[in-house]
Amino acid sequence: MAELREGWVGGRRARFDTAGRVRGLVSHVGDQPVGAGAHVAVHRSTQPHARIGAVHTADALAMPGVYAVVTGAELHKQLGDRLFTGPAFADQPALAYEKVRYVGEPVAAVLAADLATARAAADAVYVDYEELPPVYDLADALTGTAFVHEELKPSAVFGDLRHLHGVRDTNVNYTYRLRHGDAQAARDAGAHTVTGEFWAPPTHHVPIELPCTIAWVDAGRLEMLTTTQTPSYVRQTISDLLGLPLSRVRVTTRPLGGSFGAKMYDRLEPLAAALAWTTGRKVRIVASREEAFLLTTRHGAAVTSSLTADGEGNLVSAIADVRYDTGAYADVGPRITGKSGMVAPGPYRIANASVLSRCVYTNKPSAGPFRGFGVPQVTWSHESLIDELAHELGEDPYAFRRRHLLREGDEAPMGTRMHSADFVGCLDAVANAIDWFSPLDRGTGRIRRGRGVAVGVKAVLTPTIANAVLQFNQDASATLLISTIDMGQGSDTIMAQVAADVLRMDSTRIHVVRADTDATPYDTITAGSRSTYHTGNAVRRVAEAMRDKLIGLAADRFGVPASDVELTEAGLRGGGQVVPVTELILGHFGARGATLTTEANYTSKWVPYDKETGRSAKVTEHWFAGAVGVELAVDTATGRVRIEHLAVAGDVGKAINPRLVEQQLTGAAIMGIGHALFDQLVLDQGQLINGTLLDYQLPSVRDLPGRLTPIIVESPHDDGPFGAKGVGETGILGVAPAVANAVRDAIGVRITRLPLTPESIVTALEGNA
Amino acid sequence: MNRITLTVNGVRHFVDVEDETLLLDVLRDTAGTTSVREGCGVGACGACTVLAGGTSVSSCLALAVRYDGAELTTAEGLDENDDVVSSFVDCNAAQCGYCIPGFLLMSRELLSENPHPTGQEITDHLEGNICRCGTYPEIHRAVAAAAERRAIR
Amino acid sequence: MPFLHRPTTLAEAVDLLSILDNAMVYGGGTAIQILVKQGILHADNFVDLALVPGLRDIEAGPQGVRVGPMVSLRRMETDERVRATVPLAAAAYHHVANPRVRNTASVGGNIAHGDYRLDPPTALLVLGATVEATSVRGTREIPVREFFTGFQQTALEPDELVSAIRIPAQPAGSGHRFEKNSSLGENDWPCASAAVLVTGHEVHIGLGAVAPTPRHVTFDARGLDDQQAVDAALEAAEPALDPIPDVRGGVAYKRALARVTIEDAVRAAWKEHRNG
Repeated sequence: MAELREGWVGGRRARFDTAGRVRGLVSHVGDQPVGAGAHVAVHRSTQPHARIGAVHTADALAMPGVYAVVTGAELHKQLGDRLFTGPAFADQPALAYEKVRYVGEPVAAVLAADLATARAAADAVYVDYEELPPVYDLADALTGTAFVHEELKPSAVFGDLRHLHGVRDTNVNYTYRLRHGDAQAARDAGAHTVTGEFWAPPTHHVPIELPCTIAWVDAGRLEMLTTTQTPSYVRQTISDLLGLPLSRVRVTTRPLGGSFGAKMYDRLEPLAAALAWTTGRKVRIVASREEAFLLTTRHGAAVTSSLTADGEGNLVSAIADVRYDTGAYADVGPRITGKSGMVAPGPYRIANASVLSRCVYTNKPSAGPFRGFGVPQVTWSHESLIDELAHELGEDPYAFRRRHLLREGDEAPMGTRMHSADFVGCLDAVANAIDWFSPLDRGTGRIRRGRGVAVGVKAVLTPTIANAVLQFNQDASATLLISTIDMGQGSDTIMAQVAADVLRMDSTRIHVVRADTDATPYDTITAGSRSTYHTGNAVRRVAEAMRDKLIGLAADRFGVPASDVELTEAGLRGGGQVVPVTELILGHFGARGATLTTEANYTSKWVPYDKETGRSAKVTEHWFAGAVGVELAVDTATGRVRIEHLAVAGDVGKAINPRLVEQQLTGAAIMGIGHALFDQLVLDQGQLINGTLLDYQLPSVRDLPGRLTPIIVESPHDDGPFGAKGVGETGILGVAPAVANAVRDAIGVRITRLPLTPESIVTALEGNA
Repeated sequence: MNRITLTVNGVRHFVDVEDETLLLDVLRDTAGTTSVREGCGVGACGACTVLAGGTSVSSCLALAVRYDGAELTTAEGLDENDDVVSSFVDCNAAQCGYCIPGFLLMSRELLSENPHPTGQEITDHLEGNICRCGTYPEIHRAVAAAAERRAIR
Repeated sequence: MPFLHRPTTLAEAVDLLSILDNAMVYGGGTAIQILVKQGILHADNFVDLALVPGLRDIEAGPQGVRVGPMVSLRRMETDERVRATVPLAAAAYHHVANPRVRNTASVGGNIAHGDYRLDPPTALLVLGATVEATSVRGTREIPVREFFTGFQQTALEPDELVSAIRIPAQPAGSGHRFEKNSSLGENDWPCASAAVLVTGHEVHIGLGAVAPTPRHVTFDARGLDDQQAVDAALEAAEPALDPIPDVRGGVAYKRALARVTIEDAVRAAWKEHRNG
């Protein structure tokens, strides 16, 4: 009985098949043989911005084992402008057409008998370029006269981006403006203003599983097996690309070996589909680690911002100018620009706020979604600023935040009310965990200690759609069909827990079918921490429908009204009778192995941004609230930071599985430590110079804090499944500013550029001396 | 072309390899051991770890011809009741799990050399393996737990 | 990949090196494989030493250790004789990359690579080690202090291979310390490393990652107190510091970090010497 409950809501059951994962028995996309299929390698641009002249493929074609060499021009001849795809703008060609826009952009694809041959042949392709003036950074993009795209081409895959319109002669592809009150006048009239120029660099996700797509044509249909978080989106993209009805496209998946936003929207899939469709061959594309760095990145972001308090210490004005560098292709940058720009003032009661948030093209690898969806970049600015304002006012940074944090029912500057977002509870929890109020041994000589906190707020992606289909088997097991992708977060496990709780059954007897667009129903995306709430609600509803169906059958059998029948662990109970579900279903169908089926949908709605003010009465279905507390030591001689204790708290509404929630919090915090201290992509004139794991810095076991404390805060959401919300991103939001605030506390220096490398700390100390 | 013999998890394979064939490719393409995975190609992430005669090797940097006659162990070859495997399971030391076979084999190597490692020695031995999900605390606990289980036996 | 030759005797190996065009010795192969994959290795032939007998031997005696070129870096940190005779070398080998790479990478390949950031050369410089270089012309001895001739260049002739490294025993009563500082992730390449040996009358310092080659400096330590020893070390090291700016730091930071690394290593070795 206790074991059964460990598999229900609130239970700490282990993930499905942990033993198999540990021993490497989980099958991934890259493990699938392709037989006589063609292996694909890509020839990449050496230029950041250039017109493509002749593409010389004869040497490559002459190599033994090479089947074909395909260029963007050839694909365009067959597919026309459908070659261009993307979630916000249809701006990215599967192979560069007429122009290249970043160093490393695919220009030609080689199909060969094996990967080594394909790669050698790709090296043998050469291209004539006519160089164009490059746009290397935000300053070039915003003030220069070179344009990455001649004209913006909005796509309309997602409802909330419909209002985007094509324009010319700009590198700004999307602008979000928030105007609440008169922030400039309030700043001018305020008593204390702090300002900052903040920079968060581009970074990479580096899931250890490399992206891989296999595509083939079967009976006039395009089928593919791919590493994606967004099978439903990919199906639509491929349908648009090839001009096929959705029913003639099939996207199948396997569990992902990590993703964090790297494997979603248009990655290898459009190219694989175009090649399979135009050549008729089965094709397999796998990115090397070096290539994976070029597929997508986290947006580098510059924020120029200010925060103003009046004489009593009330927050009266927040102003932010946010620029997201989206690279050569918009990807989902415009949505990031809006959804993250709107929270740039932070989770505080602020009377007046003004935000200008822009998404900017440059000649660099494209930036897209990354755990936190642009919010860590603005959290970096608002949590640094409020800390500095507290110092300026001589107030305790914890207490100052606490006084101003949004409470339940408060309207945030962007116009939406807070519900199930316990910022105060999260902040209190981390402050207590790191003993904020106890005296700190600040150290002497080289080693100095400090403490810092930070709070984060993020909206869940809205509107989105989730569907679920449940087959209840006669033997009291069940098959759950959803299109959520398990990439390590444990979605298969918690969805089974939700269904098992409703159906009072053993959750290990529920099989979650991996996403297959031929079988599992539409689901917007597995991203933005949306699945627990949205798909979780669809699963709860589909299980409730099944429960009602079982009760109806039992009521007929017992000859009592349905309202007198109850579903229990022992079976259906009513009118003094009990029947096990196995017997009930067997009795109903008269056949062993029969199944009952139900389906359900959950769709969230929003109120679009007001065109004038950027405000919305319901900009999101729900909020994520998190906080981070850090105690650390700085070696002032080397500049090295050692985190002695990091506490991370997230309000998850209700933890469906506390063990997995804690793991999401600590895992996100560890990723955040990398972003705080050393993790960044370094580009020189558009060329990536640290794109191998010999040079790119990821946290290893050596970089763990001395202590790492995850804390679950639960303020149930009225409409969440059992009150639950997601948690995948909550833990990462505040890590970098909490570390910087602790460094500020330790050595008295405010650093505004990430990461806080030892060099930056030593340089800042010297500047201060 | 060279004919080599590899014993993988107790099963002998006769394989024809080119001079430049990497052990990783033989294990995946011929021996069917999908737990050995390419993550970085430069020996920096540990996803391709294999034990050769009990010693850890980055199979992405290893020429297959050099392992002619070798006894290789991959994560698939460890029994579900193995102390290290069961400790990883009990400590929840896997999220996506893609990198975990590498950690598992490094942990096996450590405990065979050093049955009672200190926390620092565990850290030192696992420093060359990357878990991007950030499962390090659980992995660290699992290695310590496995050492304890072995001590009790 | 270049053509792979697999000789079974040392004589055959050096013969191959003397007749093949653009040949390179294939030792542990870790660094070479990375260069092959990056497409920046310019060799036509590899001479693999794996099948040559006797190259994995460690001989130890009161005078020191003689290490075959195919001995793994890992054995240098775990072998009891190495740890007892040249503990500074064992400490430096322990810090290379990670245990899995150290299992494969070889002592000969490591030094022949000539990379300015490697840890072992710092200790070998300090301990006065000698490289045995063998070719068809015979075997000659190259002091490690004369081995690193330029950025990724060594005193080895194209037809020579490292047939052994001799490391003299650390003097009784000496103090030693290996210190390594990275500037990004803890497990990253070093941004500055220092091996220090303090004997009765002098201090030797080997430096890694702070100049285009590993560097060696020494000074007379007689009559100095703790702080004077540190000051003398920093003064002696100053002309040797010539860092290459890169993603791991600019010149000024790397110089500053080198000085901290030297100071920490000297203090620790000095203390051990005094207490020892």
